[in-house]
Amino acid sequence: MKNLGAPRILLLLVALFSLPPCCLAQTPASPSAPGTSLAQSHKPITDADLANVPVPSPDVRAKGDTDGSLTGNAGDITVADSKKGLTVGDLANQVGQNKIAINIVWTLITGYLVMFMQLGFALLETGLARAKNANHTMMMNLVVYGVGMFAYWLCGFAIQMGGVGAVANLGGTPALNAEHIATFFGKPFGLFGQHGFFLMHKGTYDVGVMVLFLFQMVFMDTGATIPTGAAIERWKFSSFVVTSFLFAAFTYPLFANWAWGGGWLANLGANFGLGKGYVDFAGSGVVHAVGGVSALAIAMILGPRIGKFTRDGRPQAILAHDMVIVITGCLILAFGWFGFNPGSTLGASGSGNLRIGSIAVNTMLASAGGLLSAMLYMWMVCGKPDVSMTGNGFLAGLVAITAPCAFVNPISAVLIGLIAGVLVCISVAFVERNLQVDDPVGAISVHGACGIWGVISVGLFADGTSNYGGAWNGVNGSVTGLFYGDATQLLAQLMGVATLLGVVFVLSFCFGALVDLLMGQRASAKSELEGLDLPEMGSLAYPEFEMKSGN
Amino acid sequence: MKIVGVLVAFFGFVVSFASLALSSTGGRFAVVLVGLAITLFGILGILNSAHLKHAIWKTGASKE
Repeated sequence: MKNLGAPRILLLLVALFSLPPCCLAQTPASPSAPGTSLAQSHKPITDADLANVPVPSPDVRAKGDTDGSLTGNAGDITVADSKKGLTVGDLANQVGQNKIAINIVWTLITGYLVMFMQLGFALLETGLARAKNANHTMMMNLVVYGVGMFAYWLCGFAIQMGGVGAVANLGGTPALNAEHIATFFGKPFGLFGQHGFFLMHKGTYDVGVMVLFLFQMVFMDTGATIPTGAAIERWKFSSFVVTSFLFAAFTYPLFANWAWGGGWLANLGANFGLGKGYVDFAGSGVVHAVGGVSALAIAMILGPRIGKFTRDGRPQAILAHDMVIVITGCLILAFGWFGFNPGSTLGASGSGNLRIGSIAVNTMLASAGGLLSAMLYMWMVCGKPDVSMTGNGFLAGLVAITAPCAFVNPISAVLIGLIAGVLVCISVAFVERNLQVDDPVGAISVHGACGIWGVISVGLFADGTSNYGGAWNGVNGSVTGLFYGDATQLLAQLMGVATLLGVVFVLSFCFGALVDLLMGQRASAKSELEGLDLPEMGSLAYPEFEMKSGN
Repeated sequence: MKIVGVLVAFFGFVVSFASLALSSTGGRFAVVLVGLAITLFGILGILNSAHLKHAIWKTGASKE
């Protein structure tokens, strides 16, 4: 030490004192005692602090921002009073609006993805039809979008969401606060909403309500387009228009109100202690099973296509005309499902919404499970990996995971998909051979059977780890299924299934039968044999192609 | 028979709905499942059979 001069000792001391901050920059900070250093490091921000936040000068900004480091700064925050400048209040308002903006943009973009699924359905159904019905099938898929939207705007949305209350993720939708209530067993039962007709009624001309309408409308239209798949090649166009209108105006909105609009199924937990009430995150039941059981009702009323069954009742294969667009449709649908399921959080910011990552992964895993199990099942049973059934298995996995996607872990998602893939193969054979119902695209099985399986799977596989704001359907805690300790959740799900079959099917059948009575649901045998393109639409889809007999 | 099928299907729902009046979870499960069975019988057993009586392949319009 003697050899060290005073300047060297000083240098060493400086180095020693400067070491701890350098180390801390590479390692996590040690926990602080509550109320001491934590309070010191989180001093409240004052207006004076904000006055000193540097903002790039106009001269600097005028030179351009090549690396993006200058664009978006404190100068972009809207101030309430320019004389005061930026205040804490302005900052808080901007943070709040940013959160809601993120959620609104998320919900809108995912809604656009769901809208794109209409194309997937159109291609899938048209590909599975014969060429002589291609124009008619495409036209049904186009028109159901407009007719459904119009009916939903008139009254469907109000019936579904008119009493849902404030949707916090979208900044609140306070005008949607009128639910018609009936009393059974001494408890309130929400039956239908009463605000939101024409999107102008009772203060519903509101940005949050508009976003909710768009998102819910494309969901409804997904449901409305499912029956067309089971009814292709024989559904009279005018009757299809009226039936679809009734579906969008009444059938779908009623069940959707009971499940999503604050209705009685959602409140089975709060009123009767059944888990967290009926839980259907993105609509295995609300969208797909409603569409699937309606498809069953329409297919029963219409009866099978001419030539589908022999006189002794044996089913005959009627070949699809374009498997390329069938698979294209399947893949478009899978892409749209990334809007369907993750978008159903109605937000990406706050209230546990970052679970969208898990929801998206569960969605894709279940689709893989459904695809693989359907392909292997058909390979084993028929000796070949059937293309259309593999596509149906792919969609079956997606349909089944739609309700539980937000509440299950990845292993459960794969299991749900695997089961759905086999279920759809068995169901298609059962519907065709045992029920002798003609369902050309397998809509009853993919959406009906696998939709119901998705609803039930919530009651089995929900693992109790999700937390969307601490409660679901007004019941504290996380959704938990039978395998994780709550049998009552499965009971709530079964009540939903009973309602789907006992009310939604019956309502669809009654509407369908009424239209059949008044105007006839089925196209004439002559039109059917000729192909519906010319008799119903007045033009062919492929006018320059020569049609072979029977195509 | 179609009307009977529709009524039986709806009656099955009423049975399931009535389970809410019970207090035990096991009892509710049993009643809901009975209701579901009745509904399925109404749809698949009665209503569909009624439609199949006049199925198009039985009336001679089918190709074969």
